[in-house]
Amino acid sequence: MSLLEVKNIHKTFGTTQVLRGIDLKIEKGDVVSILGPSGSGKTTLLRCINFLEKADNGELIFDGKSYDLSKISKAEISGIRNNTGFVFQNYNLFANKTVLQNVTLGLTAARHIPHKEADMKAYEVLSRVGMKDHASAYPSQLSGGQQQRVAIARALATNPKIIYFDEPTSALDPQLTAEVLEVMRGLAEDGMTMIVVTHEIGFAKDVSSKVVFMADGGIIEEGNSNEFFDNPKQPRTREFLRLTNS
Amino acid sequence: MLEQSTIELLVSSFPKILEYGLKVTLPLATIAFILSTILSVFVAMVQYANVPVLRQFCRFYIWIIRGTPLLVQLMVAFYGLPLLGIHSNPFLMAVIVFTINEGAYSAETMRAAMEAVSAGQMEAGYCVGMGYMQIMWHIILPQAFRTAFPSLFNSLISMVKDTSLASSITVVEMFTRTKQIAGQSYNYLPLYLEVALVYLIFCTVLTYIQGRGEMLLGSYGIRK
Repeated sequence: MSLLEVKNIHKTFGTTQVLRGIDLKIEKGDVVSILGPSGSGKTTLLRCINFLEKADNGELIFDGKSYDLSKISKAEISGIRNNTGFVFQNYNLFANKTVLQNVTLGLTAARHIPHKEADMKAYEVLSRVGMKDHASAYPSQLSGGQQQRVAIARALATNPKIIYFDEPTSALDPQLTAEVLEVMRGLAEDGMTMIVVTHEIGFAKDVSSKVVFMADGGIIEEGNSNEFFDNPKQPRTREFLRLTNS
Repeated sequence: MLEQSTIELLVSSFPKILEYGLKVTLPLATIAFILSTILSVFVAMVQYANVPVLRQFCRFYIWIIRGTPLLVQLMVAFYGLPLLGIHSNPFLMAVIVFTINEGAYSAETMRAAMEAVSAGQMEAGYCVGMGYMQIMWHIILPQAFRTAFPSLFNSLISMVKDTSLASSITVVEMFTRTKQIAGQSYNYLPLYLEVALVYLIFCTVLTYIQGRGEMLLGSYGIRK
């Protein structure tokens, strides 16, 4: 049984149709890269799956339970979110909280875990992303790469079944990109299920198990990583890979 | 230049003026400021969260209060509330009017400050599993309050001086007390200059407190 499955997601902004019926299946342990040109709907897809945008219709099956996206309840949404993590392009760390508090807040406030226990968990995930020494710093005192690593720790702290990454390195220079990708590679090796919207072709090639290529609000081609890069079937995919030199 | 009698009058009246400043003017402004800040958070949140009906009610409240003079509001309360069977002492009435008046202005300050917090903060809160009110309490309001603090304090300083209007509804505050002393001595100008100085001292102290407050609220490491 798949961990996550979406069927026929549609989304329009005004008169623009951004998603035209997306189907996607994610197995436990999958690392799925979603590639595609800007405006193809990758980010919107991810945001719809985690309810940051409301899909017009479609079905989501998470952990064996099926939900109708057009009429999902707040309680159902929060039930699903309690088992997922989300990493944003621009980090979105809580600006008024320290690194440690950023990580613990989801535990203490949302899950009523005692502070002591939450702190222990936070230090554990912070050392996993190499940010333990910055526990008392505020986000504004960190580099972009450091902030993103804290954001990953924040997502990890709640023991999610899956983590969504929305272009996690698009705001970073190559060096900082490398440090964030290194952390993500580590997670993948530990078996974390991840969906990664990215422009990092190298990451998609080396780390992800599956690649999905989107354009114009639809999935053009998908397949396991090697097959996708070695033997792309669709002209659109070949054109994209040629333009990105891969 | 200054006559001996004037100097003596200034010296003897200073503690009397200051007494009413500390006993009436400052408590009136401070209590009304605290209550109005609490009121403004509610009014701002209703608008921020776009609560139907309540939102329209809040806009109506702000429209009425900002569109009419404080002096008129004091008068309406003074003569109107007893008609509704509400009798209270003038000081309490002044606290209520100042709270309602200031609340309308501060609500706009708070709303602007809340809207200035990036939408990503709310989204990140949802994504770690927090509910709306939890995100408000832990993330949005603290950041908004930090942004609004200088403006809110601006209003407090403004209100300290506006309390002199309470004299119109028989509250004997610092300015009224000065008028009484001046009336007894027929020596107006020196006493009005003296009370001006006391207002200035109050506001100087408040300005200092504002600076300390801003440091205390912290800047999350942005400006050091």
